[in-house]
Formats: sequence, C-alpha cells, structure tokens
Amino acid sequence: MSHQLGRVVSEILHQYFGEIVQKVGHDLFIYGSKPIPMIVKTTGLPRKQVVESLRSLVKFDLASFEPSFNEVVADYKLNPDNVLLLIRYPRYLLQIKTKFGSEAEILVEELLQQASCTASVLLVTVAAKYKDDKEKNITLVKLRDIFISIATARYIQQAPVADKSEVPSLEPVATIVPDIDIRQLAQAMATDTLADVNDNIYWKVNFDRFHQDFRDDIMVKAITRRIDENAGELMHLLLQQMYLTSAEWAAESNPTPALDLRDAVHRTDRPDCDRKLLQQYMDHYLRVLEENGAGFVVRVGEAGGGQYVVRGRHAATQLLLAALDHTVTERLGSKAARIFRLIRTKKYIEEDDIQKHAMLPNKECKELTYKLLEEHFISIQPMRKAASSGAMAKAVYLYHIKLHDVAQSLREMCYRALHNTLRRGQHTRAAHARLLDKQRRVRSIVHSMRVRGEPQQHIDDHTRAAHARLLDKQRRVRSIVHSMRVRGEPQQHIDDHTRAAHARLLDKQRRVRSIVHSMRVRGEPQQHIDDVEETLTPPELSTLKDVEARLKQLSAAQLALDKNLFILNWYFMYPH
Amino acid sequence: MSSSKNDDPISEKILNVAKKNPKGISDKDILAAVPELSAAELVSAINKLLQEGLFDLYNQGGSLIYRLKGQSSKQAVKGADNEEKVVYNLIEDAGNKGIWIRDIRLRSNIANTQLTKVLKNLESKKVIKAVKCVNASKKKVYMLYNLEPDRSISGGAWYQDQDFESEFVDILNRQCLRFLQQRADKIKNNPKGPVVGRTQSFASAVEVQKYITDLGISNVKLEVEDVITILNTLVYDGKAESNVLSDGSKVYRAIESLIPPPGLVQVPCGVCPLILKCCSTGLITPQDCKYMDDWLEN
Repeated sequence: MSHQLGRVVSEILHQYFGEIVQKVGHDLFIYGSKPIPMIVKTTGLPRKQVVESLRSLVKFDLASFEPSFNEVVADYKLNPDNVLLLIRYPRYLLQIKTKFGSEAEILVEELLQQASCTASVLLVTVAAKYKDDKEKNITLVKLRDIFISIATARYIQQAPVADKSEVPSLEPVATIVPDIDIRQLAQAMATDTLADVNDNIYWKVNFDRFHQDFRDDIMVKAITRRIDENAGELMHLLLQQMYLTSAEWAAESNPTPALDLRDAVHRTDRPDCDRKLLQQYMDHYLRVLEENGAGFVVRVGEAGGGQYVVRGRHAATQLLLAALDHTVTERLGSKAARIFRLIRTKKYIEEDDIQKHAMLPNKECKELTYKLLEEHFISIQPMRKAASSGAMAKAVYLYHIKLHDVAQSLREMCYRALHNTLRRGQHTRAAHARLLDKQRRVRSIVHSMRVRGEPQQHIDDHTRAAHARLLDKQRRVRSIVHSMRVRGEPQQHIDDHTRAAHARLLDKQRRVRSIVHSMRVRGEPQQHIDDVEETLTPPELSTLKDVEARLKQLSAAQLALDKNLFILNWYFMYPH
Repeated sequence: MSSSKNDDPISEKILNVAKKNPKGISDKDILAAVPELSAAELVSAINKLLQEGLFDLYNQGGSLIYRLKGQSSKQAVKGADNEEKVVYNLIEDAGNKGIWIRDIRLRSNIANTQLTKVLKNLESKKVIKAVKCVNASKKKVYMLYNLEPDRSISGGAWYQDQDFESEFVDILNRQCLRFLQQRADKIKNNPKGPVVGRTQSFASAVEVQKYITDLGISNVKLEVEDVITILNTLVYDGKAESNVLSDGSKVYRAIESLIPPPGLVQVPCGVCPLILKCCSTGLITPQDCKYMDDWLEN
C-alpha cells in the first residue's frame, strides 16, 4: 500500500471510470475503509455520485464492503490489486482466444464488461449482438458449448452469493457446470424477453485461473530458452500433472512419478516439440531439466521411476532475479550487473574481494558498488570488532543483497513507470477531448441527414465544409506555433498547441472513416468514397499515424510493465 | 662439505642424485636411484636433510620437488659485512613474496639509516631488487634479484606495471564467451538426446585456455587458473553457468537469461536517472518528459 501504488490506482480508475470514481477510489485508498457519509465528507461530492461510484467499484470487484462497528452500516474498502488487473484485460482475452477460439473471447469480453451476469443473459446478449454477422456465424448452440467448456476449465466461476443480513457478506460458492436449456433461450431470444427464463446463478471471470496460465507460460518459456522446446514441453506436462495432485500456487508441488509423465508424453500433441525425441530421451530430458533448468524441478525420490517436484516458489525467485539482473544491467551497465551477481553468489562479501573476483579496475569497481548501494540494489552490513582488540581494530563492511527489499523497490519502480505511461496517455487524450464535442456535433448532423435520406451530394458538401473549417484552423495554429517559436516561448506552450492540432487530425480521421464506412454499407460508388478519403492529405495522414503509434506504444508498454509486475507479485505471494 | 659429514649411505645417494639434477628431484627420482629404500626410511632421510638445510622444498604441479640449495647465491654476499648478511638472509627467507622494509628493520634490529644504506648496497650489486606491490602502490617489498614476484605481489597476468588491464580482461571475456556460445546450441534438439547434447555444449577451462592460446591475442602466457578467473566473470555476468562433472572438474556452458528484458527496462522510466524525482506536478513530470518524447519519437 505505497504512495506509488495509490498514484497508479488513481490513474487507472480515471482512465476507465472517469473523474468521480477516481476521486472516491483515491479517497478510499488513502483512508482505508470508511462508510459512505465519511466519503461524502472528505471528497465533497454529492451523496448520489458517491453511491453510484461505489456501486460501479463494488460491481467490478474493485471495492469490497463489510459491516462496521454499527452493524447496519457498511464500511467500504478499495482493492488496489484488482484495480491493477484492469490493465491485464487484453491479455485475458488473448489467452482465452488462443485456447478456445474467438467465440470464447466474445463471451469473456462480454462477461468482463458486465462484471457478473447469468448464463442465459450472457448467451442471449452475445447471440443477439452477432445475429447479423454472417462472417462469424455465431449460434446459441455453439455459444452454449463454449460456455460449458470454459466453465469446466474454470476460466469462469460462479459469483459469490450474498447472505440475508443487514449488510450482506458475500459467500463464495462451489462452481457447478450448468445445464443450459437451449430451447428456452432460443424462445427468449425470439420474443426478446428474458423474463420467462428462471436463472439466478451469476457468473464472473476467474482471474486466478488465467494467472495460472500466465505463470505456466513464463516457466515453460524460461525452460525453452535455457534448454530447448522439448524440455519446455516436458515442463508444461509436469505442470499439468502438478494441477492434478497439488494446490495451484503451492510453493512445492506434490511429487509426480516419472511413469505418469511418460504416459503424458505419449499423449502430447504439441506441434513445436519433437515428440519422438522427447519420448526416446525422456529420462535424459528429466535429468537435464533437473540439473540445468534453473532449479524449477527437483528429484525427490526413486519410486515410480523417479519422483519430481515443481518448485513454484524457487521459480518465482529465479525469475525475479533474472528481472533484477536485467534492470541493473540497463540502469548501471553490465559491469554493475556483474558485481550485483557476484555479491549474490557470495552472500556476504568485502569490498576488496569484489574487486578481485569481478576483475574490474579498483576505481571503477568501487564507483559501481557505491552506485548500486545508492540505488538500493545492495545493502551493507558493518561488522565492528570488539574494542579490546586495540587500535588495529578496523570495522569490516560486508555487502549483501536483501532480496525482499530489492523486490519491493523494483515494484515501486514498476508502479512509477506504469503511472507515468498512463499519465502520458491520458494527457495526450485529454488534449483531444476539447474537440470531441465538435466531432460529435458533425457526426450527429451527418447521421440525421442520412436518416432524412438526403442525397449523398449534401452529405459530402457538409463534410467538406467542416474539413475546410478544420484546415483553416490548423493553418492558424501552425502560424501561431511558428510565431511562438520566433518569439522564443517555452516549449511547453508550443507542445500544447501541437497536441491540439493532433487532436483535430485524429478526429478528422475518425470522422472520415465513419463516413466511408457508412457509404460502403449503402453501396455508394467508389468515386464518392475516394473523394472523402482524399480530404486527408498525405502529411496529415503521416502525422495521424505518428500519434496513433505513440498511443499504441504507450499501451504496449503498459502491458509489458504489467507482465513485470506479475512476476513480482508471484514472488510476493509466498512468505519470505 | 656437508655430505662428507653425513655417513648415512642413503643420504649420500640422495645427495648424489640431487647434484646430478640441479633442477630438483622428486620422490620418484629418489626411489629410482635407491630402489631398496622403504617409504618410512625415505621420509626420515629427507627430513634429516631438510633439517640440515641442504635441500629446498618446492611444490611443482602437485608433487614435491627437492632441490639442492644453490651455493652461488651464498657467494654473492661474499665480502659483505655482518649487517648485509643478516639482511640478505631475511630477504632470502621471504622468497618470492618479498619482505617489507619495516619488517626487515623490526627483525634485524638495524637502525633505519643504516638499513637503507645496506639495501642500496645490495641493490647496486644486483643481489636483491625492490618490487612495487599491486595492492598498495606505496608499499615496496624486497626479494632476491633472480626471483619472479609472486602473483599476490605482481597481480599475475592482469597487471602491467601495477596497472590493471581492464581492456585485456574484457577482450578475453568476450572471446571466452564466443567460444562457449559456439557450442551452446548443441543442446537444442540434439538427435542423440539432451544429455549428450549438454556434454557437447560444455567446455572445460583447459579447452578454453587452448582456444585462447591458439588465437594468439595474449602476449602473456595464460595459466588455467587465469582462464578460470575469466570464465568466472562470465558466470557473474549471467552469460554462462558452471557445472561440476563427476570427476570433480568444472565445466562451463553459455546460457541465456531466463526471461527477455522485462517491461520495466522497455520504458524510459526503467533507466531514468530522475525516476525518484518524477512527480505529478513540478519540474519533472511524465507529461512533458524529454526522455519519453524521444522514446515515443522512434
């Protein structure tokens, strides 16, 4: 619960839910848990808005509540960890798509948007949405099958049920894969009412199941990098065996006999592994995996052809160390990374010995060591000799690494970076917001014209007029920027103006695209479409591409940071 | 001569052998010359000779070497006065590790001024020499003129006139890595199985040393220990791992990091020197961060 976490959480809430929810969320983050009147008091928002914000927060499981001292009043509390998951949503969708296909993706996406939803409502809404889409060919039966398979695979689970007390507490329930009556749903879809369907089991996405997939993926990829694809596949099979016998996040799994593993190897059908080779040399692969696989797997017994244990906690530590190494290398150079690793290998080491082993010049070595110390990657332990040993007594300074502390500071750094990318993206978008209003106006005019069935000529005229105004304005902005540069105004002012100009361009592109799309739908002649498209000149297009690329780069960076945080949180999952 | 005083026939024979081999003799040589000798007798005979100060004991390649004490060095101080003899003996005892002037003074009890004069005298006769110590540049140690300074004094192959040659180390580091990387791929999908593949991807220090010597990048003769030191820096760099084979020898293998560069170092904030000063408001903010501008530009 650090200050940096608060900043990230607040920024995410702002991006996904807007300013009011951000205010409420931040207030809850700072004060811990408090009842509604207190939130109203500190935020200064109207009670209605606070209640609404809390409603959406609780709905998406971003906040929780519990009875306070007075049992009829509820205290609300923010769940910052769940807020961070909002960034991970694209990864969940990608994961489910690779595993179960695009229908599953649509289902999960809808469920993520609804937060929780009954199976019948979910299926009918999705089916209704894609009723006209001939390409995807989505039917209720198909959706039902997919729903059942992802429920069986535990990617979705039943939402907790509230009990009957004044301030209800949510009791988790065991997930039972449902039996969905397809005829009833088809009927409901035809009559467009769900009133007849008696379904009161609510479902929600089981994030933990996705996280297990992510974890497996990281481990398999790491082994593939270290040894080869076959060893990676073997790791994958070991993890699957582990799910059968142990808790998912166990620090060390229960032993898996090699015989079971051999069966699994015979059944595997992964394309990227040489199955014959793996079958033939499975024992060898197990040995190499144990000896050179960064200690992810250890052999614990001889029964059943050898017993193997997957060490989740050890793997998390190893991966954290790898991430730390990369960070030190990038921040302070590879020589510093060498010192960092050296200290880690030797546990406690004196300054002179560092120099001797790292094979670095005395001065450079000292400098890097002190830099590492300054950035809190390493710690120092003074060992004072007893006073009785006389004047010769000199304190010994031992360098060492407090892994838990270093991991904490790395996490803080990730939070900072995440906050900064979010903030930057939001800043770019906020600059565009000024023109969103205008865009909406133009769109609504175009739309109403189309509804009235006016000839295409008029529509085109209108858009051209709007474009002309925009182009004119852009010209003016450019001249202003130019004169500012001439007058030597600070860069920030100029930047603001450039951003405003970008916003207009982005707007314009969106507008032109929507018009072109509607024209295509109506089967307009190509000539008209080209006309509208040509209103975007090549320099404008290149600028637009640039802005879009920037926003894309920022969100890619956010996903990458989230992956980094995943490893860190995995490490913190186990007590240290 | 001391041998004449020695009426023991065994010692006599050993001394004869030693005289024939001025470079020194090992246990084996003695046994070959005096086959009837039992191990216990040999030990007692040699102990006796060592006590009499006739032999010097050396450790060469793991086995002990006995060498007849040279008479020539003794002659070098002929014509020297008592002080010089005392100082010379002290320096000789120190061997190739050298001895500090302060220690000479303490042990010989000669006054400072006189001692410097004696040392200068000996130095001008080229009997002893002063060597600068690598660890403390001000500290001078004295040793016999014909001795090669010990590694702890000269710093071994990595030092040239007390300066650490970091470029040399870097080049060797890179070459060793290249050698290991040439083999590293053998483990991937090896048709003979991963254990064979792994064995092929391993390289021992001796192999690496041979490769480096063949490359001819080093003027200095590199010992196996030197190469091991370099290989260890590769391990600390995270670019190699070492395994111990069943016969106790160490082997090395080039490896890749477990994960690709994580998200943090892909954004400018991960390497930003100002990250701790970056706030929502103020001079350093993410909104108008120059580093981020540059990053988004590409």
